[in-house]
Amino acid sequence: MLDRIFFLLGEAFIALRRNGWMTFAAISTVAVSLFLLGGLGYVYLQVANAAQNMTGRFELRVMLKDGSKNFEISKTAADIRAIPGVKTVNWIPRDKAWQKFLTENPEHQKYVDIENPYPDSFKVILSDLKQTDQVIAKIKSFPAVSADEIQYLKSEQNLYVQIQAIVKWLGTALGGLLFVTGGILIYNAIRLSVLSRRLEIRNMQLVGASFLTIRIPFYIEGMVQGFVGGLLATLLLRAGHAVVDARVTQIWTTLPVFPTTTFLGILCAMGSVYGLICSMVAVRAPLRFR
Amino acid sequence: MGEPYISYEGVEVCFTEFVYGLRDATVSFERGEFAFLVGKTGAGKSTLIKLLTREATPTKGKVTLAGRDITHLPDRLVPALRRSMGIVPQDFALLPRKRVWENVAYAMRAVGKSKKEVRQLVPQILEQVRIGHRADAFPHELSGGEQQRVAIGRALINNPPLLLADEPTGNLDPDHSWEIMELLKELNTKGTTVLVASHDMVVVEKMAKRIVKMEGGRVVSDTGKEMSNA
Repeated sequence: MLDRIFFLLGEAFIALRRNGWMTFAAISTVAVSLFLLGGLGYVYLQVANAAQNMTGRFELRVMLKDGSKNFEISKTAADIRAIPGVKTVNWIPRDKAWQKFLTENPEHQKYVDIENPYPDSFKVILSDLKQTDQVIAKIKSFPAVSADEIQYLKSEQNLYVQIQAIVKWLGTALGGLLFVTGGILIYNAIRLSVLSRRLEIRNMQLVGASFLTIRIPFYIEGMVQGFVGGLLATLLLRAGHAVVDARVTQIWTTLPVFPTTTFLGILCAMGSVYGLICSMVAVRAPLRFR
Repeated sequence: MGEPYISYEGVEVCFTEFVYGLRDATVSFERGEFAFLVGKTGAGKSTLIKLLTREATPTKGKVTLAGRDITHLPDRLVPALRRSMGIVPQDFALLPRKRVWENVAYAMRAVGKSKKEVRQLVPQILEQVRIGHRADAFPHELSGGEQQRVAIGRALINNPPLLLADEPTGNLDPDHSWEIMELLKELNTKGTTVLVASHDMVVVEKMAKRIVKMEGGRVVSDTGKEMSNA
């Protein structure tokens, strides 16, 4: 068995060696495409993560109509909690809000005797910023809510959502395009291998070598190209992360640690599977028995 | 009398609407026979061999080998079919970067033989085709006849009961041609059925074996098997 595996591996590496430049082109294109896909995927996750962590800052302030009864307040709180995308709802009684205002703004203590201008309100924290508009529309429809008095940082929330959308679009478009190009190059590299090894293939077909014996070396070749592409992409990402981290640390904050092992696993697996698929497609027609 | 070893019954091979490889070809061969398929280029002799190796499929008729209908054999069974025969192509198809022994060893490794079997069998095969003394030479260092011996050696790795040779002397001078024919004859005397497509009538007639003559894809004459056993 081991003997057989060595034979097949040997055949695959002969093919890789013979088409050095084509192999190099395929590996480097796959590496760049996986670098882009992986890198933009990483940025996307970081932006999503940051947005998630900052949802507390993007709280909504929902003011209730003057004179809302306790049962109306309780019912409205329950209704808001039931809206998808809402994480927490906290009731802020009007007296407490007024006291807090006076404590935080001692210069206004002179107004302590005037009538409390604050209404009862809710502090609403969202679990998904993208649903902000839907959540607000729903809240406005509740009878106890003062529809014109919902406060939130709309522009900041939109900025995060837009950044995520741009990163996602860029990742899909650029990474996808390069991924397809990488696949075509692997396909071409395998086709050239078939051409450069046509005598070996003919020999194998003449003596009755099995389909798998003839094809497996090409499958290995495609997988190796994809795997090395994934490996290089991870190294590039690791290096890129280190460079960005060094710059960002100087002016702002330290970036999260780069998950090298996770990326190595994901990108190498993606590359290998992709290489395998491309090579399977590439050898289908030229390796038919004839 | 039993079933023939190889049988073609009304076989037609149509490449395009007006181009035929074979037309209603009917001929059979017994086990252990030595027969020549002769005719001009395009007569259909190579096509007849290709039907057995499954490099071509008939559009009409029936082809059997050792009692088994291989007319429409599925692709997945072709490797096993080819392991039951030895194929000697006209162009030798040797690997130029491998030495003589490596060419045979490579073919053996490709059909799943272990390194140990290869070490044991390669020298025997090379001796059988009388090329052992050039085992370390590269193909380009060999004469045409020697290269053909290596190709025959490679065809013997599965110890096949049937040997098919398509123009084995096509690229050889008369002396080397005769050497190759002697070798094939020797294999035949050991029990191997040998089918040879050739247009080298001098060598064919000198061999005094069964001759199946083809023209325009049809069998036009057959000297019969009594002659092949002479």
